[in-house]
Amino acid sequence: MSDEEHHFESKADAGASKTYPQQAGSIRKNGYIVIKGRPCKVVEVSTSKTGKHGHAKCHFVAIDIFSQKKLEDIVPSSHNCDVPHVNRTDYQLIDIAEDGFLSLLTENGNTKDDLKLPSDESLLAQIKDGFGEGKDIVLTVMSAMGEEQICALKDIGPK
Amino acid sequence: MPYQSCRFILENSQLPNARFQAASAIRDAAIREWGILTDENKRSLILYCLQYATDHANVPDAYVQVKVTSVAAQLLKRGWSEFAESEKVEIICQVKQAVQGAHGVDAQVSGINFIESLVSEFSPSTSTALGLPREFHEQCYRSLELICLKEFYCLAKDAAVSLTDKIVGGTASFSEEKICSSAMRIMFQILSWDFRQSADSRDRTTFKPNACSAGIRREATLLKKFERTLVQPGVSWRELLISSGQTTWILSFYATLRQKISVDELWLDSPIAVSARQLILQLCSLTGNVFPDDNGHTQINNLLQILSSVIPWIEPPEVVIEAIRLGRSESEFLDGCHALLSIATLTTPLLFDNLMHSLRPFGTIHFMSILTSDVIKAYVVNHDEKESWMEEALDVLLETWTVIFESSERDKNSITAEGRSAAAKLFNNITEAHLEAASATAYDEDDDAEHFVASVSKRDERLGSYAVIARATADITIPFLLMVFSQHISHLNQIIGKSDITCILEKLYWILLMIGHVLTDSGESETALIPKLLEDGFPDFLEMEQHPVVALSWSIIDYSRRCLDPETRTSCFSPRLMEAVIWFLARWVDTYLMPVVGTNIHIASVDDSMKMHGPQSSKVILLNFSGEHKGELVLDIVVRICLTSLISYPGEKELQTLSCQKLLVALVRRRNVCMRLFSLESWRDLASTFSNERTFFSLNARLQRSIAQNLVCAASSLKDAEASNEYVRDLMGPMTSYLVEISARTDFKDVAQLPDAMYMVICLLERLIGVAKATQPRTQKGVFDVAVTVMNPLITLLEAYKNQPAVVYLIIKFTVDLVDGQVAFLDAKDTSILVRFCMQLLQIYSSHNIGKQSFSLIGVQVEKYKDLRALLQLLANLCSKDLVDFSPDESGSPDIAEVIFFGLHIVSPLISSDLLKFPKLSSCYYRLVSHMLEVYPEKVALLTKEAFAQVTTALDFGIQHQDIDAVDMCLRAINALASYHYREKIAGREGLAAHIVDSQGSNGRLQENILRHFLRFLLQLVLHDDFRMVISGSAADALLPLLLCEQELYQRLVQEFIEKQATDFMRSRLANAFHSLTNSNKVSSSLDRPNRSHFRNNFHEFLTDISGLRIK
Repeated sequence: MSDEEHHFESKADAGASKTYPQQAGSIRKNGYIVIKGRPCKVVEVSTSKTGKHGHAKCHFVAIDIFSQKKLEDIVPSSHNCDVPHVNRTDYQLIDIAEDGFLSLLTENGNTKDDLKLPSDESLLAQIKDGFGEGKDIVLTVMSAMGEEQICALKDIGPK
Repeated sequence: MPYQSCRFILENSQLPNARFQAASAIRDAAIREWGILTDENKRSLILYCLQYATDHANVPDAYVQVKVTSVAAQLLKRGWSEFAESEKVEIICQVKQAVQGAHGVDAQVSGINFIESLVSEFSPSTSTALGLPREFHEQCYRSLELICLKEFYCLAKDAAVSLTDKIVGGTASFSEEKICSSAMRIMFQILSWDFRQSADSRDRTTFKPNACSAGIRREATLLKKFERTLVQPGVSWRELLISSGQTTWILSFYATLRQKISVDELWLDSPIAVSARQLILQLCSLTGNVFPDDNGHTQINNLLQILSSVIPWIEPPEVVIEAIRLGRSESEFLDGCHALLSIATLTTPLLFDNLMHSLRPFGTIHFMSILTSDVIKAYVVNHDEKESWMEEALDVLLETWTVIFESSERDKNSITAEGRSAAAKLFNNITEAHLEAASATAYDEDDDAEHFVASVSKRDERLGSYAVIARATADITIPFLLMVFSQHISHLNQIIGKSDITCILEKLYWILLMIGHVLTDSGESETALIPKLLEDGFPDFLEMEQHPVVALSWSIIDYSRRCLDPETRTSCFSPRLMEAVIWFLARWVDTYLMPVVGTNIHIASVDDSMKMHGPQSSKVILLNFSGEHKGELVLDIVVRICLTSLISYPGEKELQTLSCQKLLVALVRRRNVCMRLFSLESWRDLASTFSNERTFFSLNARLQRSIAQNLVCAASSLKDAEASNEYVRDLMGPMTSYLVEISARTDFKDVAQLPDAMYMVICLLERLIGVAKATQPRTQKGVFDVAVTVMNPLITLLEAYKNQPAVVYLIIKFTVDLVDGQVAFLDAKDTSILVRFCMQLLQIYSSHNIGKQSFSLIGVQVEKYKDLRALLQLLANLCSKDLVDFSPDESGSPDIAEVIFFGLHIVSPLISSDLLKFPKLSSCYYRLVSHMLEVYPEKVALLTKEAFAQVTTALDFGIQHQDIDAVDMCLRAINALASYHYREKIAGREGLAAHIVDSQGSNGRLQENILRHFLRFLLQLVLHDDFRMVISGSAADALLPLLLCEQELYQRLVQEFIEKQATDFMRSRLANAFHSLTNSNKVSSSLDRPNRSHFRNNFHEFLTDISGLRIK
């Protein structure tokens, strides 16, 4: 492979960039895409042409990964789309503050205190109950384009 | 018993629905309790139903009466083999009198309805399930054909004929018309019967030669495509159908009515018209020895008679079609087309053509040509409208052409010169009509993407039928296609840059598709051969260059090559046209490029061939024109076109898919072609673009997988195993070393999350999957080496991307394919490497996912399901090592069974009961579990307590599953467990004793040991009302060892069930049933095959015995 593509160092701080470009034609169902400024997960892709002998365009139906709202977009398939950088990070739950903020332990030993309890009833109950029973709980937090949301919970045994 | 109350409801309820339900309750009850009803009961029930239907014939809500009649019919069928002849005769006599009109019109209507239900109940395809074996239905079916069918036909015929005058005279009442049309419907229904008796007794050998000379075909060709069959009732029906002038009567009846009521456009769809036409069509399909042995004379007359009456329905085509477009019903026209199809099926092309000569100045084929042209003209104009009748008519007509030419393929002279020129003319008309339509729709938006696949296959089917017509007259149509193609190319050259070329592009698109279908067969899943009609169709051409097929092929390839020039490409190769080019090339390469027969056998005779004459020379030309030398040049062009389509059309997914999944596949399909590929610069370009450049990363990842697959596939042509392995390693080298490098980086955890790094990883994984899928014996070593190199990096990736399901899934998928391709070949050392890798993968996956709950994310469940299904597949693939193993026998190989049980132990906790609702996952899981228990019961005994509990919990869940297959597999697994335990116990060994103890459950209740638990459960299942007969076999097999293991408990359970019954009568019935289950038929306490089969028989008896006693 030629050298150019190995150079991730050049973008060492590119982790901060919220999106990256990808050709519309290569985005697949279940992939991610930015539509109207929102990070979405693609649930349906169909292609058609602009006129029979024109170029292909992709029709995306996608669901906002945070709000679950449905969005659609049409893009010429040779153009680039913005693809959100969706990250999932595990944190161990240390404490639930009275004001509803969580205290989380990061991998390198710092704490993260800016995440609120989720609004989803069942998740909320599981976190509170699990914490109340003294279980060790790891929360997976999904982040994309500056937003964060708890997306999974893992019970790694009692304290 | 519910009969009294049901009768009361039937007679008194005001609600039709209640009456309907009451009728069906009578049916259910009677079928269930059939064994305990007396003969008198049964007979009176049937008679009651008949009487009821007659009495209420005039009441609205006819569906109730129909239901009651069908109940009567079903009950009569149920008792068919046990009633005495006299009883049956009594019932049928009553019906007979009713139909003959002895008891007035109402009785007549209900009698006819009864016969209709009876015939449909006795015909296997329309019969209702009665909970009885298939043999019973078969028996009834044969018996009815023998005893009653002809009589019923006579009854219906007499009823219809007696009303003819009244109806023609216009004095018939509404119900008389109804009787007449129902009677004709019964006649149609009886003629649709699949006559067995006659087929068995027919003497084919003496019949065939005579008939063939007269032009009647004897092969039982089916009209299956349109769900119709040939009617072959046999000699016993001759009197009734032929001598009595059936055909004449119905034809004149219909013609008279048609003439009389022709003003009324709705009449064509009235029941009487529809059933009359159906009957005519059925008579038209009449064949076999129902006709006298007079050289086909009678049958030809019959067909001629029908044809002459059918022609007015479809002639003149243009006028009729126009009338239909203005609102007339199309049903008569369609029936006319169907009649032509039936006639064509029954006759040789020559006779088919001649039939019309006695009626018109031209032959039938000529007429067909005009008819088809007109339908196509109408069809292409209204292509988008929802008028499906034109499509249907076209389908029928094209099928007729296929039938005509299929037989002419064997005998060239079977079609007259007039017929051939008519067919060629038709093809010209088809082409012109479609080209016109193409240019009219060239500017339409292409928005049928949703129905893409369906519409493409429909389109291909139609083009395939056109191609049949074209090939039959290849000497005219191929030069014509060449001319059309050249004309359009030169037209394109003239106007390019001056005016809009969209119309021409669209026409070229259609022409390319059409030519592709004419020159080649689809070759799906079989070797594509040069169509025989093209080989034989040009006896006069001796020079290769002048052969029309050769000239046509070269002119298309010559044109296609122009897309390699960037300027021409942008100006006149639109993506859509390019799709047609790639599609054409794929099929052409498959068929004509260095065909295997040509290179091996005929190559020596190339020079001689020029001196040969006749069809042989044409055949040799076609086999050789693209042989070794010229072929290599063409191959080079094709590879370069392929590369161009992948590089120069960014984002055109359809096109790229065709290139990767059709053209590349065709290129690497045959070994002799692959060998040439390796010597080509262009192929090396393609390979190095793949290995070393970024270009292909912009393709859809799935397509990168196919490219990798095809590139590796080509390597299997290299004679030297070392060379092909080295090729694979070189091809993948840059990618594997990239994976090794990045996974070794200290900052990998951070780098990995960079979006472009992740995208790259996904692409590389897809490529690895492609390579794994392409494993063949000759490349196996190379692929394994590639895999070993990436094993550690993949484990690192799995850790780093544990929260990115897309990557995780691809890693699992790669492993699945790798194991699938490799496991049979590996020696002990390599097997351990592979197994270790798989177990590592399973453990890491499990540690990431166990106890994890995801929330409100789209498709999380589906992702998990896909992962787990792949993991189970992985285990199943590993499992096959024990069944198929090509590697040298040696010690030190890991014990596969232990590995699988260990794997199952890891995977099982991840499979929640929610996930088992996915049918594919549950079937995967239970298949694996039952396979393991059946093949390795002795390993089960060695499992840890926890692991054993896991297995049995899964079985316990599975046996209560909705899905019948899952239940079946669980029963087989339980059978295996219990049998193993029983055998060990008999032999004085421990068996599963360690696991089979009653234990204190977590909730403090006593938990039964697992065999007892299953025994109890199984008995309940069997006695329960919704027990499904499909699993009776495996239930019996599981029950026998269980009750042998736990005799004491079994006796106790039986007692319990018996005591639960309400009355003494029931108790003794159940006790008897249980008694004969274990005692009759000499069932012993062994588990050998004969004993199992005795027990199965007993069990079937048992199920019938208890059918009335089930728990609701």
